[in-house]
Amino acid sequence: MSLIETARLTKKYNGNAAVDTVSLSIREGVCTALLGPNGAGKTTTLNMLTGLIKPTEGEIDFNKNYAGDRRKHIGYLPQYPKFYGWMTGEEYVSFSAELAGLSKKKAKESTNKMLSLVGLEEDRRKKVSGYSGGMKQRLGIAQALVHEPKLVILDEPVSALDPIGRREILELMKTLKQHTSILFSTHVLHDAEEVSDDIFIMKKGKIIIEGGLSELQQKYQQPAFFIETEKAMDNWLSSINEKSWVRQSKLDKKKLTLTVEEVDTARDALLKDPMLHKLKLLKFEVAKTSLEDLFMKVMR
Amino acid sequence: MMKQWGVLFKKEWTESVRNFKWLWLPVVFILLGVMQPLTSYYFADIIENFGGLPEGAVLDIPPPSGAEVLAGTLGQFSQIGFLVLVLAFMGTVAGEKSHGTHLMVLVKPVSYFNYLTAKWVHILLISLSSFVVGFAGAVYYTALLIETVPVNNVLSGGAVYALWITFIMTLVLCLSALFRSTAIVAFGSLGTALLMSVLSMYTPDLMKWSPGMLSSHSQMLFYSGDTGDGFWVSLAMTIVLITGIMTLTIYMFNKKEVAGHTE
Ligand SMILES: Nc1ncnc2c1ncn2[C@@H]1O[C@H](COP(=O)(O)OP(=O)(O)OP(=O)(O)O)[C@@H](O)[C@H]1O
Ligand SMILES: [Mg+2]
Repeated sequence: MSLIETARLTKKYNGNAAVDTVSLSIREGVCTALLGPNGAGKTTTLNMLTGLIKPTEGEIDFNKNYAGDRRKHIGYLPQYPKFYGWMTGEEYVSFSAELAGLSKKKAKESTNKMLSLVGLEEDRRKKVSGYSGGMKQRLGIAQALVHEPKLVILDEPVSALDPIGRREILELMKTLKQHTSILFSTHVLHDAEEVSDDIFIMKKGKIIIEGGLSELQQKYQQPAFFIETEKAMDNWLSSINEKSWVRQSKLDKKKLTLTVEEVDTARDALLKDPMLHKLKLLKFEVAKTSLEDLFMKVMR
Repeated sequence: MMKQWGVLFKKEWTESVRNFKWLWLPVVFILLGVMQPLTSYYFADIIENFGGLPEGAVLDIPPPSGAEVLAGTLGQFSQIGFLVLVLAFMGTVAGEKSHGTHLMVLVKPVSYFNYLTAKWVHILLISLSSFVVGFAGAVYYTALLIETVPVNNVLSGGAVYALWITFIMTLVLCLSALFRSTAIVAFGSLGTALLMSVLSMYTPDLMKWSPGMLSSHSQMLFYSGDTGDGFWVSLAMTIVLITGIMTLTIYMFNKKEVAGHTE
């Protein structure tokens, strides 16, 4: 059974749907990415899951094994986390833990654990107002995890970070996903590919592609050839385009990307083609199109 | 449940210790409270020295009674004191909403009842403590420099005025919870206080029930130890209104979206 499920979840603002009939199913024990460009409706969707926003229509079901207020079982890092700057990092995390119902002693223990997990041990007694952006992001993750929720929801956890901070958080997420289920949003496909098992791609409030990462990669990764020649390929290409094993071709001056049905047949046919040899080959490479190409296409 | 309330209350408490609200609000009230008996006592001297009276003119102002001075103190509290209290607390929820600090609190399994009542009790505690020390200062200097006012009159008058403060601060919390703009909170609560006081002054017959009557009842208590007509009506009505406003605020806050915007 999945951890959280939505049925035709919709949020309208003045008649415009920011989220439009979204049906999600988040599996327990995996890392799920909600991928989409700015304004796709990621934050709105996540806010409905956490209960911060009420859906206009549709339903949200949390796994029946985890009873009661679903906020108990969710940890949330907002896209722009705002802390009480007058608290120290340590105070904030233990405040969050106690709000979630942990006893003082437990809260303290869990706070210590989380601060060392996110690497804030040294700065624990500093005021949060003096934290850098990266430190705040890590503090935000610590407060989201401190009550050991079943589902951790992170809204664009790496978008505001520099490459090193980004790397650190992604590594942290890889560690986390061994213990908890994670749902995170991002507008970068690469982040999703790196840590997630399941992917939902969202655009203009709708889910347009969904599935397991490897399944999607298989489905959308097609064998392809990159070919470069000294002479112009136009004439030759028109003869090649007729062939049954060709799916698609894209010529950019003297560089050709040829997507094909199957590698072996295509390679044999291409290498045996005398016409190609006359064009004076510079480069002949077997490759695969990536999810990126698909992503760029749907995002346009 | 109670434990969570305690956690939220402690957060409010620590916050106002660290930003010195627990220091400067009582100080403001002490200053206001002490100033009234002092200026009354030295009034004649002040006028003589700085008033530029013609040579030989004899100033003969009867010194004010103790009750008058205490009533004047409440007047100070109602003007400057309220302004300061409202400015100090108008952002209690509205400020959190506009900064977004409330999100990570309310996304935890926090009951909105606890969130709002912890703030409410804390605001009342600071406001009433400030009033008590300020008023105590006024009573002390009045006794020292002018005359003693019967203890019963002082206590009952002070208690009635405390209820008026409670009413206004409840209104502050309510507006702060329901609006994001602190300007609305300030104008709304101060405007209501002013309107109620003015109406009570000019149409006391129509306004018998109004919480705005409380401050004139408390002044009468200083003078005579007795309240005016309709005291019990306005007392009961104030308590009903405070309860009603709190209930309504919690209900509306529950209905409202916590995250108004997604930035
Ligand atoms: N309170 C609101 N009132 C009106 N429109 C809103 C409101 N909140 C969100 N929207 C609209 O809903 C759409 C989705 O917004 P949302 O913030 O969920 O997108 P997002 O995918 O999180 O984008 P980003 O990557 O920029 O964070 C946007 O077009 C936005 O303008
Ligand atoms: Mg967003």
